[in-house]
Amino acid sequence: MMQLKALMVKEFKEAFRDKRALMVAMSMALLMPVMIMVMLKVAIKEAVDNPPVYVKYSGAQYAPKLIAALENKNILSFAQVPADEKRNWNERNIELTIPEHFAEDMAAGKPIELILRADFNEKSLSTPIRRIKTLINEYSLSIGYKRLLVRGIDIKLLQPIKLLEQDTALPSSNAMMISLILGVYLMMAAFMSGLPVAIDSSAGERERNVLEMLLCQPVSTLKIVLAKLSCASAIAIISIILMLVLTSLAMNFVDLTKIGATFSIDASTFAILLLLLVPICLLAAALQLLFAFQAKSFKEAQSTVTMLIMVPSFIPFALMMMDDKPAWVNWLPISGQSLLMEDVFKGLAVDWSALFFTSAATIALTVLLVWVLAKRLTSEKVVMSLS
Amino acid sequence: MIKNWHRLCRAGRLSVGLVIATMGFSQACIAQSSDSQQLSLQSCHVKGVRQQVQCGTLMVPEDYTQPNGERISINFVILPAIDSSKKQLPLMFLAGGPGQAATELASHIYSGFNEVRKTRDLILIDQRGTGQSAPLQCQEPLTLDPYTSVPEDFTLSDVKQCLLQLRGDLSQFNSENAIRDFDAVRAALDHQQVHIYGGSYGTRAGLVYMRMFPESIKSVVLDSVGPIEVPIGLFGQSAAQSFERLLAHCQNDQLCAKQYPNLAQEFVALKAKLKRAPVTVEIAHPRLGTNTAFTISHDKFLSTLQMQLYSMPTRSLVPLLIHQAYLGDYKPLAGLIAQSEGDMGIYIGLHFNIVCNEDLPKISERMKAADADNSFAQGMSLAMVAKACSVWPSYQPSENFYQSVNVEIPTLILSGALDPVTPPSNGEQAHAHLVNSHHIIAKNNAHIVASTACGINIINEFLTTQKPTELDESCLDDVPAESFMLGLNGGVAIATSQTKPAQARK
Repeated sequence: MMQLKALMVKEFKEAFRDKRALMVAMSMALLMPVMIMVMLKVAIKEAVDNPPVYVKYSGAQYAPKLIAALENKNILSFAQVPADEKRNWNERNIELTIPEHFAEDMAAGKPIELILRADFNEKSLSTPIRRIKTLINEYSLSIGYKRLLVRGIDIKLLQPIKLLEQDTALPSSNAMMISLILGVYLMMAAFMSGLPVAIDSSAGERERNVLEMLLCQPVSTLKIVLAKLSCASAIAIISIILMLVLTSLAMNFVDLTKIGATFSIDASTFAILLLLLVPICLLAAALQLLFAFQAKSFKEAQSTVTMLIMVPSFIPFALMMMDDKPAWVNWLPISGQSLLMEDVFKGLAVDWSALFFTSAATIALTVLLVWVLAKRLTSEKVVMSLS
Repeated sequence: MIKNWHRLCRAGRLSVGLVIATMGFSQACIAQSSDSQQLSLQSCHVKGVRQQVQCGTLMVPEDYTQPNGERISINFVILPAIDSSKKQLPLMFLAGGPGQAATELASHIYSGFNEVRKTRDLILIDQRGTGQSAPLQCQEPLTLDPYTSVPEDFTLSDVKQCLLQLRGDLSQFNSENAIRDFDAVRAALDHQQVHIYGGSYGTRAGLVYMRMFPESIKSVVLDSVGPIEVPIGLFGQSAAQSFERLLAHCQNDQLCAKQYPNLAQEFVALKAKLKRAPVTVEIAHPRLGTNTAFTISHDKFLSTLQMQLYSMPTRSLVPLLIHQAYLGDYKPLAGLIAQSEGDMGIYIGLHFNIVCNEDLPKISERMKAADADNSFAQGMSLAMVAKACSVWPSYQPSENFYQSVNVEIPTLILSGALDPVTPPSNGEQAHAHLVNSHHIIAKNNAHIVASTACGINIINEFLTTQKPTELDESCLDDVPAESFMLGLNGGVAIATSQTKPAQARK
């Protein structure tokens, strides 16, 4: 007991001594919330804000009502563009041509052809063009409806079939996009945050000859492994907690209701997420230690571990792509947790048996890895990296 | 070490156990409350809303003086807030009519009140006698073919036929009991207080609510007010005023004036012609396409016309409607009637039950004469109601019912300047009695100010700040003035090419 405590103190001291490495470990937790926030801000702006669009009209005088309808939706004439944006909009160059006989053709009921000319491949123009198209279509349709109505036709005839949609998703699953991103990032954070510490405390210590000294002491290799494991996983857990807290805070700065969504992590969600992720952190640390000890040098450890760790991080992505999931993915480590996390974010009730089994499987795998590692550390091959 | 592990394990289990236990507990709580108050609440879908919402029913006594007597089920829908984390008080929506079912308006409210729904639950309760709350609805006799029948044919036997179909003690289907139901739903849903929004007759309900349960209400929005001092049914003067403004707006609009220079005279001539005798024309049935005899009487024409005065989009068709009818073309009228066919949206039994007993007795002969002294439809709408009311069973509203409401609840009063039924003068009446109120008159608006985005934004700001006098009303200036459809193809009239065919047609 005393020995384990002493070993753990040593590991934590070493981990926290190198502030820069620690920062790298925590960088994901610190940056992700900011990233999610910025992404959302941009997405919301695209989706709901109606920033002014400036269009170069020709023949605006022939269709004053249409121009007024466009103006009502903040689609303005190029003549009104403020000086500082003039260059941009001149370059974007959206042109709308209204024919001279617009009014006569309208009164005569003949089709009128407007020309919308722009670079349709230019990304910054996709939203303005969509807005112009939608408005003109709506305007045109509303005149069409009225024309039929005043001819004594029931305009409901134009919609013989009406499809009423009933969404069975729970209202709280509105912010699916954020939840999915956050779920993937949490999984990645669980895997990546402990990585620098794990490598440093294994391959790094071997290169500094600390490991050799440690193994010379009269302590069991199991205790050494456990100390290293708890240190690396603790860093990962801290990183996850930080990420959850910061994300919750960051979401306060985004008005998600604008896109009809909401996001909040309450105490019980928080607890369940931690319950899901702590075993993952342990497993990740065990895997990292195993592969780092396997490598010949610190540098090799860095590359192999990073590569290997990327694989499980992509499991959530793979699951997202999979439409028909076989039942066993619910029980496996990592995939089980990421599916459960999805449920939590959707606001569904937690499947406690799945949670139990996947956690048990994860912990069993971790125990196995720890045992293998402890066994291996008794071999000189590993200690001297001769394998 | 082992000891510590055990402790950790135990701690771990306890926390899981705690989570499960609390979840189980909260479910038990819902079940219990539903048991004791006869409230049931579950997820459901309502027509026109894709998202899942909450539907519920609450059993209430039909007669509140006899709590153990007959019970009726009150149906309600909760449109959940998009973001409920802010814990804002919900907004209860009081529907109009009387006789509209709030839950049947769910899809309109869902999108129309989106700004409010961002942070607040919206509670829609079917007033007793409407929707699925013991509806008072008449089947066949009052829903005749809208093309061949005319309102003048409507007879007392139709009303009697309707009365035979109604179930329940009609005297209990009054405004005050409806409010008791609303407040019972509020209490059953565990809300200490709610905000209320009333539109049209909903404002009357809202005012009654304010008088009966002031402590249940945080704040009030009265949109297009029907104050207790003004009996429902006196629409003659307000409809005429609304119509005259429409004519004036057309004359002030250069293109409209050019297209319809004699609109007022055409209206007078047409009215006189229809008054003499109804006109029957052969048209293609608007929906079926088969040949149909379309009969137009004075009352049919004017009541359809009056319906168009309620909203800005339909007002734009009025000059064309009159002009074409003057020329003998009643197809625009048929098209408009087709739009309202099928879904009147009014539970007519409840409508008459309330109007006949709570409002009509308050209309004196002198008020009736003054109201009928107008240039639009004279006493038409009142005459129709009075006819039905002559055989409707009567009850006596409580003495307090006609008291003016003067409470200090923050109140926002909205009126549309062009409203044909609840003119701004109604709003002034309510404003005069309510201490902490503010009256906003939307210039380019007819019935229901909340029908525009600007109106909703003002309401939302009021619900947030609770300061009726400090609201940003500037967006009202941006609401466009009414514009009119100037030809059967909706073209902008061009002087040379348009006047000729118009003259030729004459």
